[in-house]
Amino acid sequence: MAKSKLEVNTLSMLGQRGTLGLTLAQLGATDSKIIALSADLRTTSGLDRFAKAYPERFINTGIAEQDMVGIAAGLANSGYIPFATSFANFSAMRANEFVRHFMSYMNENIKLVGMGAGFAMGMFGNTHYGLEDIGVIRSFPNITILSPADCLETKKAIIAAARYPGPVYLRLYGGSRQPIVYKDDFEFKIGKANRLTEGSDIAILATGGVVYDSLVAAKSLNEKGIHAQVWDVHTLNSIDNEAINEACKTKMIFTIEEHRINGGLGSAVAEALSEVSCSPILHRLGVPMHFSKAGSNKYCLHSFGLDSAGIEESIKKYIND
Amino acid sequence: MNNSEKYLNAFVETFGVDSEKAKTLKYQSVDSWDSVGHMTLIAALEDAFDIMMDTDDIIDLSSYEKGMEILAKKYDVEF
Repeated sequence: MAKSKLEVNTLSMLGQRGTLGLTLAQLGATDSKIIALSADLRTTSGLDRFAKAYPERFINTGIAEQDMVGIAAGLANSGYIPFATSFANFSAMRANEFVRHFMSYMNENIKLVGMGAGFAMGMFGNTHYGLEDIGVIRSFPNITILSPADCLETKKAIIAAARYPGPVYLRLYGGSRQPIVYKDDFEFKIGKANRLTEGSDIAILATGGVVYDSLVAAKSLNEKGIHAQVWDVHTLNSIDNEAINEACKTKMIFTIEEHRINGGLGSAVAEALSEVSCSPILHRLGVPMHFSKAGSNKYCLHSFGLDSAGIEESIKKYIND
Repeated sequence: MNNSEKYLNAFVETFGVDSEKAKTLKYQSVDSWDSVGHMTLIAALEDAFDIMMDTDDIIDLSSYEKGMEILAKKYDVEF
């Protein structure tokens, strides 16, 4: 539970990776079943503190993500709660078959963490961007997918994942000074999207780091007479029915994600809307189905229209068309 | 609290040390001043003095003394 503005600001300063490290160290102090695994990314994952405090519960597998998931499976099967961490593209894709067999098929209680999702890896380029991980993992049964919007929600998602009796994929974005969506404490419940603003003209369903940008865009649109309800969709393996039902009361639905437009949130919402007899038109805003130039996180979000100005412009264009 | 007390308190609270120890601290001189502790300290200082520090200053803040120098020189904090 957030105690203060200082805690919220501290978590934001740490970024989602630092929040992971801090939260696991705190969990590790009271639960000896928590184990952290890293594919040679200990420091960059914020896991130094955990590793120093509990060296017997930190496993560095080296750059061997498949092995990491395999070891996590053995640990989970023995009653431990392993958090297996790497960058999102490596967690989801390099270890993919092991994720399928151990997490999806065998339902082992592994908490797989994909850090640096979206364009967070910046100048590392396209080989390190995590733009397809949700799509890949969403196609596997039994895996809960969490995509927190800011660092306070990240802390709550990690705690919820640790307590959840089943495999979880946790998608983390951004760097330090991550924008704050939740200034005050709030309830986080796996599967339950959070409605952040009221509005009956359009619905914006966003996930992860772009939730903040969606809020900024919504505020600007509101001043121009377009009233948007914004939802933080933090659970992606199945979309909250309440969010879908409420969004269907508006004239147009937008999904926004730092992920390919195919396979992620937009596709999940489209699938949910296909079950609704009469739904408004859906526009999926995300990363298009082609590779582009690498750049900083900010540059890439801007070039794909996923910063607040780009989101607002896209929404206005679709409304006016 | 005056500025000196606020500054000292940020170190004491962040790193869980007493006042005398706090004044001797350098980055990584205690376990709690690791990368996570460093960013926690920065957040505490920003909150205490209502400032937003530049990345270069965050990196440069390597000791109790250095931090005072940076805050005084670049953020108009009077000690």
